[in-house]
Amino acid sequence: MLFGKWMNAIPTVGAIGSGGAGFMVVVLGWYYLTPDFFEVGYMPTQPGEGFNHQLHAGELGVDCRYCHYHIEESPEANIPHVGVCYGCHAETRLKDSEFHKVEWVREAYAEDASIPWRRVHKLPDYVRNFPHHVHLKAGVSCYSCHGQIMAQEVVHQEHGLGMGWCLDCHRNPTEHLVPPEKVTDLTWVEQHLKERRENDTGLQQAELLLDALHKAPPQNCTACHH
Amino acid sequence: MAHDQCPSTKGLKEASAPARDLPTLAGRAQGSPKVWRSPEEFADAPEFRDWVEREFPAGASELAGSSRRDFVKFMGASLALAGAATIPGCRRPDHKIYTYSKDVPEEVIPGTPLFFATSLPVAGGGAEGVVVETHEGRPTKVEGNPLHPVNQGTTSAFAQASVLELYDPDRLKFPVYDNPARGKLEATWDDFKLWQREHFAKFDESGGVGLAFIADRQSSPTRDAVRERIRQRWPSATWVSWDPVADETGLEGFEIAFGTPQQAMPRTENAKIIVSLDDDLLNNGPAGLANARGVAAGRRVLSPGDNLSRIYAIESTVSLLGASADHRLALAPSQIPMFAIALAKALQQRGAFADRLAAIGELAASATIDENAFESKWVDAIADDLMLHRGESLVVAGRTQPPAVRALVHAINETLGNIGRTISYRRIEGDDASLPSATLRVLTRQMSAGEIDTLVCLGANPLYDAPANAGLQAAWDRVPTTVTHSVGLSETEGASTWSLNAAHPLESWGDTQAFDGTIAPIQPMIAPLYSPSMSQIELLALLADPEETPDGYELVREAWRARLGGLSERSFEPRWRRALHDGVLAGTTSQGDEPGVVAARVVSALNAMRNAAIPTRDRLDVVFRTGRLGDGRYANNAWLQELPPPDTYVVWDNPVLMSPNTARELGVWGFDDANEAYTGRQIPRARMAQVVIDGASVELPAWVCPGLPDNTLIMELGYGRRRAGHVGGDYDPAEPKKGHKVGFDAYRVRHSDARFAVSGATCQRARGRYPIASTQNHWSLEGRDAIIREADHPAWEAFGGKIKEKPDPIYGEPVIRLNFAERLGELSHTPENRSIYDNPYNNTQGDPPEFGPDDPVRSEERLPGMVYDPVLDKWRRPNFARGPQWGMTIDMATCTGCGVCTIACQSENNIPVVGKREVAKGREMHWIRVDRYFLGDLDHPEGVAYQPVACVQCENAPCEVVCPVNATVHDDEGLNAMVYNRCIGTRYCSNNCPYKVRRFNFFDYSQAKFNGGSGLTEALGVDLPNENFIPPRLREKLDEIQKMRMNPDVTVRGRGVMEKCTYCVQRINRARYEMKLQDIKPDQMPDGFFQTACQQACPSQAISFGNILDESSEVSTMRGNGRSFGLLGYINTRPRTSHLLKVRNPNPVLRTPVADPFHHGGHGDDHGDDHGNDHGANHDGDHGGTTHDDGHGEEHSRGPRTLSLPVLLDQTISGALA
Repeated sequence: MLFGKWMNAIPTVGAIGSGGAGFMVVVLGWYYLTPDFFEVGYMPTQPGEGFNHQLHAGELGVDCRYCHYHIEESPEANIPHVGVCYGCHAETRLKDSEFHKVEWVREAYAEDASIPWRRVHKLPDYVRNFPHHVHLKAGVSCYSCHGQIMAQEVVHQEHGLGMGWCLDCHRNPTEHLVPPEKVTDLTWVEQHLKERRENDTGLQQAELLLDALHKAPPQNCTACHH
Repeated sequence: MAHDQCPSTKGLKEASAPARDLPTLAGRAQGSPKVWRSPEEFADAPEFRDWVEREFPAGASELAGSSRRDFVKFMGASLALAGAATIPGCRRPDHKIYTYSKDVPEEVIPGTPLFFATSLPVAGGGAEGVVVETHEGRPTKVEGNPLHPVNQGTTSAFAQASVLELYDPDRLKFPVYDNPARGKLEATWDDFKLWQREHFAKFDESGGVGLAFIADRQSSPTRDAVRERIRQRWPSATWVSWDPVADETGLEGFEIAFGTPQQAMPRTENAKIIVSLDDDLLNNGPAGLANARGVAAGRRVLSPGDNLSRIYAIESTVSLLGASADHRLALAPSQIPMFAIALAKALQQRGAFADRLAAIGELAASATIDENAFESKWVDAIADDLMLHRGESLVVAGRTQPPAVRALVHAINETLGNIGRTISYRRIEGDDASLPSATLRVLTRQMSAGEIDTLVCLGANPLYDAPANAGLQAAWDRVPTTVTHSVGLSETEGASTWSLNAAHPLESWGDTQAFDGTIAPIQPMIAPLYSPSMSQIELLALLADPEETPDGYELVREAWRARLGGLSERSFEPRWRRALHDGVLAGTTSQGDEPGVVAARVVSALNAMRNAAIPTRDRLDVVFRTGRLGDGRYANNAWLQELPPPDTYVVWDNPVLMSPNTARELGVWGFDDANEAYTGRQIPRARMAQVVIDGASVELPAWVCPGLPDNTLIMELGYGRRRAGHVGGDYDPAEPKKGHKVGFDAYRVRHSDARFAVSGATCQRARGRYPIASTQNHWSLEGRDAIIREADHPAWEAFGGKIKEKPDPIYGEPVIRLNFAERLGELSHTPENRSIYDNPYNNTQGDPPEFGPDDPVRSEERLPGMVYDPVLDKWRRPNFARGPQWGMTIDMATCTGCGVCTIACQSENNIPVVGKREVAKGREMHWIRVDRYFLGDLDHPEGVAYQPVACVQCENAPCEVVCPVNATVHDDEGLNAMVYNRCIGTRYCSNNCPYKVRRFNFFDYSQAKFNGGSGLTEALGVDLPNENFIPPRLREKLDEIQKMRMNPDVTVRGRGVMEKCTYCVQRINRARYEMKLQDIKPDQMPDGFFQTACQQACPSQAISFGNILDESSEVSTMRGNGRSFGLLGYINTRPRTSHLLKVRNPNPVLRTPVADPFHHGGHGDDHGDDHGNDHGANHDGDHGGTTHDDGHGEEHSRGPRTLSLPVLLDQTISGALA
């Protein structure tokens, strides 16, 4: 017999199989083709032997704005110029081993050379800017987008930064608002937001903050895409 | 009816659409002139209509030639190349962030622009004060300096385009030395410094005999001071202040009239009558911006009773002033002197030229006037008007006119008492007062005689732009050593022993003096891109003293201190700092003098002038003029090359222009065979013509420009550059096949004694045709009547303040209120309607209530203009009741059609240039186009009207409903947003846009290195592969230098993406950030807190922008004006941009003004207003039925063209039934 009886199953199995395969493609694509897979966890090594945020911001307690000092007046969060690094590292108070570790910073300063830091958080070209200053003013903490920087030895990308993720917050801003003077106190913010989520406290305060914004966060395309 | 646009049947059907009428001007009743854009449209051949009615004109959507085989070929190649090219693109790019190191520039905040005041020299003298936007130290946008008296916030197109010039990859990058033995060698500035120390020392003994300088004409106190040093070192050296298009007849006219060289300072804002004898006051001259502002002030009527100036233009070209004029007389340049004398005669007969100037009047009175040249009623009407407005009128004559006429005009102004009121003068001296062609002639003679050993050219390009008969090229070869200092490539630089790279004004220190005497600093925005380089003053200082290391900063300070009377360092410093901050040196603006005319000299000059014969087809008049490229120095600037000139709309070319009559007579009419012009390649192909002037001849395409006087040719200078770069032309006349050529060199037929006008030329048809890229027929609003509206002054006076109420014809609202302008248009004429839509707006009187979860959404379906609400998960009306709500008005009464808005927009919004071939296919990308309409008949149009059109941001946007991917949606502030990253390029939105303002990136235009220059300009006639088909990754990519000019706040759009005007949303957002940081609610943003790019640049301040909910804002006032109307308002798109109609002020002697545009009279073909003749707020709604019945029992031909909803419905229904 040319066609065995078992062959009758082929259309059924094929249909179910291809349906299942299609379903898996969608499911896998849903996750793996998004920034949540591609972007989160990106952790490039910074120049020198890497810049340790955990040490600087966490242990030593340097405020974010000490280095990223234009953040309250510019859409861009500036990377500090070499002079800022040198301001501390010119000192000889450090232990010898640590002092030599940052010899390259002093060299860069002496040569008036730039340090090629590597970008961690990158928005697509068609998102013209993310106005850091306005978000800070509104009371969105660094923590909400960058995660607990104070605990990261090497900074990695915490969130996917996809548009849906942006809109989640723009639609429910109260979940993330903290008093503007607290935005860089990441330990406090982390604790506070956690408590707020768990205990439903502080929401009223967030409502008040939202009122102070005059208008809910924009959800128009033109707010970011131009 | 709608034409079949299906590609499969298009070729099969016969092109036989019924003939129809052109639309007429809304705003007049009887004898309303026809409105049309081009001779082709006037002739209205079926082929042309087929061409123009497509979604994108002229086969923009065609891929290539193009057969299916071509398509497969292209796609195969493209895919293969793309595959190879994209492999390295899969990895996440590793971006480096380079920070400042030790020295952080003062005040630089990364991400925030800094603005510096500086100034830019105007070609040929004069200056513009500008404010330059810099991002982290790189200049990206030039704006007008509000504190500079010339600009007062506005700019010219040249200033806008200067950023592109700065980042031109073709600029000279290092000195080149032409070694006699080894040819051209790359050299360094140190080489040059060593060489010049030795070389120039030999002239010290003779005091500079054998040394000559040709410097481009500039008004710069510092350069004058440094030049004085040169004079001290070498007193006998020759110095030529060269400007090929200097207004020499003007200077000679001043010499005749006043005995001294002067600079005229018109105060057009005081003039109620302006008479121009071939002078385009509004064009880019040193005073162009000030004049445009002044004329606009006299034309901006806001309410009935406001003064409206009257402009008479007697001119040989179609100028900007002529288009604004109330009466325009096209007259050959050789006949205008006679007109001037006739005018003087008429004035004398009316009592002018009494005391001091009696001799002039008597001479004019005795002159004989040729009756055939022009109608005497013109002269009489103008003379009467001038006599009525003594002291508040202005007569000007242009550079085509002989010195005697220029002098006579000063005498007329004096006798009318205008001097000191509407015009004053400023004494000029030195270089500004010299006559360049005479001094160049002397130098050329010396050069030919071998008397010149070393010639230094500073910024000048005489080998290209010297008069054809001067013999400069031959003389040049006899000069052993030549040194040329130039920013860009030039013919002269290429033929020099030393070619030195100059610093651009945006990267060097210097100063300028404007036409009114205002001194302004030039301060560098950026370190020289091609360092080391020197500015002109630095080079001169080096030559004057080779031991010194010149520093532009110190040179300017020294010159200024000397000029301010040797101030001490302590008192100078504050003034200097203030000047750098303001961009103006305070106290230097001249108030103007009032010199007296010397009658005897004017009389003798007039006596020496001969009446010229009326030109005939064998003895043609020729006018030379400058346009977008100036004297040719802007040839390598792609923005200017592609900015349509306001008369022809021909880009990338300079055909010889002539009137339709002349073209027919000479046999060079290019549109006689419409099939040829508008089928096949679908690019208009002009006939070639040979123009012979005094034995010299040039072949160039002929192009018809309606509105020109007969038997007069217009030739534009500045094209046909042999060595300008990838954009402006680069070819060797000996080997025409190589290189590429842009336009034709009209300097080849321009003689030293005939600078701007010449008689006795001949023109005949030459072999061949030449493709022309003209945008005048692009983006036609085909089928929409009365797109342009004008009214006469009496009508405005009578009806301007009145509102008419009538039932809403579209949605059946009880009442809509129509202002003056709306009554002139279709809205008043639209019949009652069965709407296919529920009216989303009719539940409230104005805008819908504030948005909230309880807001009643009237319909579940998506209506035009709705926004998607993710919270409600529904389409809802945008919340237009809460501010800010953005709106714009464009006042056509003051718009001059100059096109500066277009280029300002291009600069602000990173709009690419596409090149000639792409423009010819209708793919130009400008977000604002300026529509030009002729009024009247083809041969003698009575006027010209301009109307800028950008996206009008409809509240009911038709584009939004057809986008399958929601790439164009509304936002809550009334913007019709275009989301580039969503766009998949279906172009449905453009198809559905009634205004045709959407632009599609057919290719990766922004990736082209030379902005459409290379290969795209010349290859039109030949089937060369289009470089756009090569994937950008493999093409020569955008030079890093050119990337620097991009505005970082605006996305650079890629291929396959639609784009359009955004109301400069990046500026809105920036302003909003400021507001938020200052704790101010966005809807309380002060009016004028920011400006859009077009509004900022507009020389006549015709554009206003702001929050329409703020009743005190300028834009609200203008929207509420009786002249304001929404373009195509009758289709209920609710445009956010309102246009304000133009009011003309005709002299009843020359044309009877229309006092009642709503009155039909006995005529059948006007489409005025209602038939009830209500002259007030009557409730008159007698339109019934669904046919378009104008009440005269005459089924007029407008039917098929009308797009009012009921007619469309009827047609659709009957079509379905059939």
